[in-house]
Amino acid sequence: MTATGLRIAGLCLTLVYAGALVRVYVRQPSTLSEAGGTLTSAVGAYRIDRERFDAGLQYFRQDRFVEARDAFAQADPARQDPVVQFYVAYAFLRQGWGRVYSDDALYTQGLEALTRARQLAPGGTIRVDDDNLALRTAEELQAEFERGLTRELSDFNPARLMRERP
Amino acid sequence: MTGFQDRRDVPAVPEPQADLVPGEIYRRPAGPVALPAGREAITLPLLLLTVAGLGGVRVAATGTIALVPPSLVALVLAVFLIAALVRSGALEPSRLVGDWRTPLENASGVTVLLALLVATAQVFTLLTPASGLFAFVFTAFFALLLWNTLAADPDRPRLLRSLAVVLGGAFLLKFVVLAALYDPDGGVLRRVLLALIDGATLGGAPAPDGPVTGYLAFATLGLYFVGLVLLPARRRSWQR
Repeated sequence: MTATGLRIAGLCLTLVYAGALVRVYVRQPSTLSEAGGTLTSAVGAYRIDRERFDAGLQYFRQDRFVEARDAFAQADPARQDPVVQFYVAYAFLRQGWGRVYSDDALYTQGLEALTRARQLAPGGTIRVDDDNLALRTAEELQAEFERGLTRELSDFNPARLMRERP
Repeated sequence: MTGFQDRRDVPAVPEPQADLVPGEIYRRPAGPVALPAGREAITLPLLLLTVAGLGGVRVAATGTIALVPPSLVALVLAVFLIAALVRSGALEPSRLVGDWRTPLENASGVTVLLALLVATAQVFTLLTPASGLFAFVFTAFFALLLWNTLAADPDRPRLLRSLAVVLGGAFLLKFVVLAALYDPDGGVLRRVLLALIDGATLGGAPAPDGPVTGYLAFATLGLYFVGLVLLPARRRSWQR
């Protein structure tokens, strides 16, 4: 390889490497697998475990949300896939949803998962075409979480008892 | 100049080169010598970026990791250190950037300099406690030693030896001495020392990171020194 070729290859390699490092530092992964996932996703090499994701979807549709989140965590150990994280957030929403009140702890965890998913998604938005879901976009899901976490007069409206689960 | 020549400008012995003929008279050309393209474009940037990346990794005893970007004061210290490298001849910027190089070569050289700045800053961030009085003491220690180094104007080997002592000493203090003080299995003497340190620092002694961070720091420092040795030093080729 000529010196010019080496320099061009070196510059490209350096830029990709520096970009991947900056991405990892910005994402602030909390485990080694997350850090590895962030690095591989920076170069477009990250893939979820489709089999575990499908298993998670099965649990999710059977309202077994703890099992579903466990399977989603195995499918996306680095938490780098926006769709999987969207479902994780949705699992928290459905588990925490109640006709009388919602579980603030589960809603908060769900909102965290959704925020993470939106940071990963291009443009900050996610759309999931799943007939099983009442809320199919990140914006709708976020609004539902925020409504659940906000205390307001409408919380005492008896008509809330008649509403459908999202 | 009055006949005085800096010994760093004119090496006592010419660098061994294949085309040197004994008995011939050689002279220095005006232009600096370029680095091998592979070292300049690939080895040095990747090595220094690896140092920059590893330098910010903190692994807690629980296994969770945190990534710490370079602090502002570390960047300032890095500029001081690079100035010392340039003055000592351990780094010759004109071998990386200059009019005599093509734009692509200059871009490659600037990449090396930027990577060196970030790597150096991360090394200082790594060796300085995160907060409290110790952070101030370590930073002041680094600043004074670098200032002293700049004033002493050492040559390349002396500067590299001095840096090994300064950075190695800081590594031992932070990752061996302080870590030993915070070891939960330590005895009475450790607890007495810790109480004294906490009292002296008004409770500001930060708990050290897990042992994995120490091993990573050791590897990072080793890589950093390899990078410093590979930097283009002040040197000119000899011509007949």
